[in-house]
Amino acid sequence: MHHAVARLALRSLAHALWVGALLSVALIAAASIGETRLGLSMVLQVLANHLWAAGYPLDPIDAGIIWNYRLPRALVAGACGAGLASAGAVLQALLRNPLADPYLLGISAGASTGAVLVTLLGVGAGMLSLSGGAFLGALAAFALVTLLARSARGSSSNNGQIILAGIAGSQLFNALTSFLITASASAEQARGLMFWLLGNLSGVRWPAVGLALPVVLAGLLVCLWHRRALDAFTFGSDAAAALGIPVRRVRLLLVACTALMTAVLVSIVGAIGFVGLVIPHAVRLLGGPRHTRLLPLSALCGALFLMAADVLSRTLLKGQVLPIGVITALIGAPVFALILVRGRHAR
Amino acid sequence: MNAFDQQTAALECAGLAYQVKGTPLLAEVTLQVRPGETLGLVGPNGSGKSTLLRLLAGLLRPQRGEVRLGGQPLAQLRRREIAQRLAVVEQQASTDDAISVRDAVELGRTPWLSALKPWSASDAAIVEQALQAVGLAHLSQRPWHSLSGGERQRVQIARALAQQPQILLLDEPTNHLDIQQQLSILALVQALPVTTLIALHDLNQALACDRLALLERGRLVALGKPLEVLTPQRLHDTFGVHGHFIDDPLDGSRYLRLRSC
Amino acid sequence: MPPSRLALALLASLGPGSAALAAPTHYPLTVENCGVRLTFAQAPAQAVTIGQAGTEMFYALGLGERLAGTSLWFNEVAPQFKAQNDKVERLADNEPSFEAVIGKRPGLVAVQFEWMVGPQGVVGTREQFAELGVPTYLLPSDCEGKDNLNGADGTRLDTFRIDSLYKSIEQLAQIMDVQERGAALVSQLQARLAQVTATAGERRAQDQSALFWFSSADLDTDPYVAGRKGIPDFMLNSLGMRNVVESDEEWPSVGWETLAKANPTFIVIARMDRRRFPADDYRKKLEFLRNDPVTRNMDAVKHDRIVIIDADAMHAGVRLVDGIEVLAAASQKLRKAD
Repeated sequence: MHHAVARLALRSLAHALWVGALLSVALIAAASIGETRLGLSMVLQVLANHLWAAGYPLDPIDAGIIWNYRLPRALVAGACGAGLASAGAVLQALLRNPLADPYLLGISAGASTGAVLVTLLGVGAGMLSLSGGAFLGALAAFALVTLLARSARGSSSNNGQIILAGIAGSQLFNALTSFLITASASAEQARGLMFWLLGNLSGVRWPAVGLALPVVLAGLLVCLWHRRALDAFTFGSDAAAALGIPVRRVRLLLVACTALMTAVLVSIVGAIGFVGLVIPHAVRLLGGPRHTRLLPLSALCGALFLMAADVLSRTLLKGQVLPIGVITALIGAPVFALILVRGRHAR
Repeated sequence: MNAFDQQTAALECAGLAYQVKGTPLLAEVTLQVRPGETLGLVGPNGSGKSTLLRLLAGLLRPQRGEVRLGGQPLAQLRRREIAQRLAVVEQQASTDDAISVRDAVELGRTPWLSALKPWSASDAAIVEQALQAVGLAHLSQRPWHSLSGGERQRVQIARALAQQPQILLLDEPTNHLDIQQQLSILALVQALPVTTLIALHDLNQALACDRLALLERGRLVALGKPLEVLTPQRLHDTFGVHGHFIDDPLDGSRYLRLRSC
Repeated sequence: MPPSRLALALLASLGPGSAALAAPTHYPLTVENCGVRLTFAQAPAQAVTIGQAGTEMFYALGLGERLAGTSLWFNEVAPQFKAQNDKVERLADNEPSFEAVIGKRPGLVAVQFEWMVGPQGVVGTREQFAELGVPTYLLPSDCEGKDNLNGADGTRLDTFRIDSLYKSIEQLAQIMDVQERGAALVSQLQARLAQVTATAGERRAQDQSALFWFSSADLDTDPYVAGRKGIPDFMLNSLGMRNVVESDEEWPSVGWETLAKANPTFIVIARMDRRRFPADDYRKKLEFLRNDPVTRNMDAVKHDRIVIIDADAMHAGVRLVDGIEVLAAASQKLRKAD
């Protein structure tokens, strides 16, 4: 028994090391590419200066751009991608539905309503920021969806209840958002909000990293801890119960965990679509459906994908930053179509 | 009072009642499954066989009565403990995941694994054993979806065996299978040294069990040896058919001949 | 602009010397305005303005008595018009409702932006007003050579020309039958502009650059800055300064990274009373510039070359020249220091 534990620990450590190395390379690459030319060597020098006081003489603006703008943005993009992808994988397993994504439970709809309430109506009297409003909105929507799912009649399909409740809740909050925007927004406010809603990393600084990174790491760990439980859901929740999984408790914990993680991420960067939906499917194709591999691989691919999408969003069109949600949709939609087609042939 | 009654039942229920939205599905069911026996559960459609199995497995909570596993009330046991002693094979298992046969059987080790007891060589050996017991060791790498119905059921049984349970519950495992598959599965189940509770549709297949429990409209109307339970009177009252036993000249076994009323 | 200068100019214009320009308007009057032909049977008795530029034009032309309502304000009214403005009803700080405007039964609505009254106007379309017999006059600066359907605040197809400002004043004066005052105001502005650009033009070298920061959706996100060919760009070019922003949109949003790297000589920030975004407050803008770890290293921030100009002075109104004068003063101060 001790053998097995030790072996597992060592293997996990080895995996963590190569994943960490890959992410570090991606981070440095992402920090070197941007709206203005700042080479790779400069990025390395900035890192050296900050990490072990190497003392390279650098233009303070260039160094500031790399350390205060690009690095936090890349880190948050990575954290966001990892969080959304793993949340998507978990929800797809729990709800037995390949179309499940992190926003299914009303999170992004609620976040947009919260953001709109704060910016347009000044709810919170200036003490609440856009992100704070978004977070509270996300939680409110999630609470409503949970209530709806609980009180839905018919015990035939628990998952069906949850999904329908999620759709109903999302529609409600989306309608609220539309109403608020048309009723009280100026064109400028509407434009600013729309940009945020489609996913926007341009305002991200180190404090956002301090929030996103720990939340995603914690969430990921909780999900990884339950990897075997997630596997047990393969043949349905009854089969999982028969395999010894406390289904209600696990479902509650994991749904709450992913909801919280998603709410935090959405409130920081807005609603970035397709990552939570498509990445888990792509990883399943490559690595199989077992969650021991699916979860960490999804997180890794999600992180890399979103970092790349962020870089693309600011370099694709000269002088203009595209909303990152547009990039993920542009890439995600055809990839999803490909997965569907390929899936059909595989059977 | 014979020796059987004094042994602790492997699995038992007392006064079990279950209803859904006011419709009673089971009423006053009291049953004891003896260690080592193969108990068949028979009855017409809607008699509550599946419901009873799910209640015994702890997948449903009864409104009245209780279930005991090895003498302990089910409600007081953790799901993990239950799964280590009791395994369930459903009528039909389906999944969208692209899992392999080995993956599916490995799921059976779930109740035995934990953070302190991760996957080890002994787990792999148990899985291998289970695969061989159902005769599917040569198909272990095949995707689940490429298997036939009978093979899929074997995989489910292998998965259940991998749990190393003391009791196996099977819910009409041969329902939609070819006759050859049906017979081989039943033979397999018969040969298992585990206490088995199997819900069956085909009455002739039920004859092979040690005892039969007959359910009619949610009530237990008969319990005993197959020949004692499936009397012509019972067959007429519960199933609405005429039936009598015939001896098979080939090997002398009893065989039930059924005619409509 | 000192009130005495304006008063002097007006008085001078009323004298016999400008008799040639003091012709009264002939009615019925037809005016071609931004693709619509407006016809006036007589001078409108009452008008409503949507946009501070139009409002202040009315006051500068001495037409405050004939203003029934004002709306869309960016700053406090210029001090010399304050007394007059206090007597006029403010329909809305921002966009008025269609009914509020119509309710005043105006003979003319002077509109500063096409996105207020236009094909996608938030108050209404020009046709809606025309159906009720209310002519809408769009300040030519916002429609000539500009595509307002492209880009959030529109995109300049042609460079803004100061002539469109003079045209606005002259046409409004013509419609309201105060042509002599209009001519006087125009020549006054022309004189001031010539003076301020001449002083700067003496050493007209392209070595000073600037960016105009209007506001941002959120303080940390990409700011709305002035693009090329627009009014702020004109202000810079008339002083021989260069706009570091390269977009043709009116107010594009550009990342701080690009702006910091461009490192302009001056940063112009807009002061306004509106509080739609936290960054509307010029003090918040200053705070951001001085505290953000990247922007605080920009030359303009380090050497305090931040110029604060009223938002209204960045629009095609009578205060435009005020804005240019503030900018010129800053530019000159720097040249003297060199």
